[in-house]
Amino acid sequence: MESLVSLNCSEQAMCNSPLPTASIWQDILAQAVTGELMAAMNYSSLSTICDEPEEVADALEHAQGEQGHAAAFAAEGRKIGVNVPNNVNARYWKRIREAFMRCIAERDFMACLIVQEIMLESFAVASYSRVGKAGPGSLGKTFAAIAAEEEGHIEHAMEILRAERAKDPQRFDDKVYRLHLDVMTTLTEMVAKECPNGQCELCHSSCVKPSLSEVGLTTVELRGASLQQYLKTLDALGLPGEVTLQWVTQLPV
Amino acid sequence: MGHPAASVAAQERQTDVDFALIGHQENWRSAADVLAVLRGNERARLPDEEIREIFPWIPPRAVCHVEIASATGAKARGLYIDCFIPPDRLDCAYVHDNLCRVRAAAACAINRGAKIVSLGGFSSILIEGNFNQLPHRTDTIFTTGNTLTVAFIVQGIKKMCALQGREMSRSTLLIVGATGDVGSGCARCLSPLVKRVVLCARNAERLRTLVAELEADGSEVEIATRLEQESFAADIVVCAASLASPSLQLGCITPEAIICDAGYPKNLRPPENMTGARVFFGGLGQISGGLSFMPDFKGILNRHPFPDVAHGCLLEGMALALAGRFEPFSQGRGFITRERVEEIETIAALHGIHLAPLFNAEG
Repeated sequence: MESLVSLNCSEQAMCNSPLPTASIWQDILAQAVTGELMAAMNYSSLSTICDEPEEVADALEHAQGEQGHAAAFAAEGRKIGVNVPNNVNARYWKRIREAFMRCIAERDFMACLIVQEIMLESFAVASYSRVGKAGPGSLGKTFAAIAAEEEGHIEHAMEILRAERAKDPQRFDDKVYRLHLDVMTTLTEMVAKECPNGQCELCHSSCVKPSLSEVGLTTVELRGASLQQYLKTLDALGLPGEVTLQWVTQLPV
Repeated sequence: MGHPAASVAAQERQTDVDFALIGHQENWRSAADVLAVLRGNERARLPDEEIREIFPWIPPRAVCHVEIASATGAKARGLYIDCFIPPDRLDCAYVHDNLCRVRAAAACAINRGAKIVSLGGFSSILIEGNFNQLPHRTDTIFTTGNTLTVAFIVQGIKKMCALQGREMSRSTLLIVGATGDVGSGCARCLSPLVKRVVLCARNAERLRTLVAELEADGSEVEIATRLEQESFAADIVVCAASLASPSLQLGCITPEAIICDAGYPKNLRPPENMTGARVFFGGLGQISGGLSFMPDFKGILNRHPFPDVAHGCLLEGMALALAGRFEPFSQGRGFITRERVEEIETIAALHGIHLAPLFNAEG
């Protein structure tokens, strides 16, 4: 696949002695870079439906931040001697982007926040934290640092969303549920033990999932941690635990 | 029919949370059944392997709404909160993680505004009645439920002795786990009724303290720190030890002993050559007014051969909720007296909560 966005790959910056597990990290980084680029695109799109200039500036600043994350991940790839591709039109990412754009089309600011901050960022925080512990050297540190930053983003969005929920909890929860059906099914498939619909269109050769154990990761852990973070985020928003538990147990595995 | 979010969320907003029950699943079959109910009939059951992979990641949370009806016509509404302790991690190797889960479950109860919370199963054992380990709260009361548990154990022993024509005043009573909250409560209630009491526990100092208390009441008492130590010839046995290990093997009891398995989990099997022994599960009550769950977990969360049966530790909180008595009726260790047992029995009976029919693993 080709890189959709150039991230200033410098041949001179490439490491001369790649890690034995470099190809595995390449695929992991590809998912991270693509996710961050998608987040940047989402925030840019969000700026187009903001009413207030401050909100526009905030969204664009967020977009820039996510672009920076993508660049940082790409740089870590170069350090270990791999060129990290990205593909926002890859199977699962495309579906997520389409779901987000439906919220944009409806000019539903809150729905956009829910998709990006609650759903996508929850998964990012959880999976980046796990990768941060497993990753070697600065690669691991970069994942851990970005996980911490993303956690800060979630908390800011939570304040906005809690206030919105307080106005009409039933209506809010119904909205979250509709978005849950739209987005979480895709995210769950992404972290399933095997990709249920064939190649994800991001892994550079065969699926990386069976090889994750070579770098101290497993799909079980990544999936479990991501869904756990999602549930905890919904708890913090105030949604009833017995309701969200049903939602998650009904997701495909 | 609306989707789960609409129906359950609406119910949550309509009802006050009078009580919360904190518990966990005892085995993987129960865990699988809970997830199957949550997934609904239209979805296939998850394979066992998936359940073992997913379950440990679920944060403690409410699983369903519970409603209990009193014989007086009153109703109390509450939540069942599961700690999601994996059934194969109930032993002491995971005590730190499990304590965190119990605290998180307690926090759920507090956040939902529960007025009184019953700690069931291992959740009560883990904190040993020390509520200082629970999150800070102002309006939520906790109870271990051990007093009503003792009440039902004692009632069960009396009933079984009557059914077997056993005269308790001639009997030797053995209590395993005697210095625990439930064990010591049983000792105080039953020692006046039997000829001789043998107290078995690991802590010799606590044993001696309990012996002094019972002897001051006129009871004949012996102690043992190991079951294999000597010949007890006990014909009534209460097993109140909380062990998550394989079956507690008993020796030194009479061939036709009456044995109350009051531990958690129920792990008692008498020796194979003692076919005359009568084992029953102790500490269980039945609600004559009925118990309902939403979603419907009947027979899943209360997996007993009779309807509307639950552990005494959970029923105590519900009884107190029905009575409007939001107080920490059972807490700490060693405070269960005959008077307190009679008091909670009266409260429970008023609301139609009685000793459950006696049963064991065979039915």
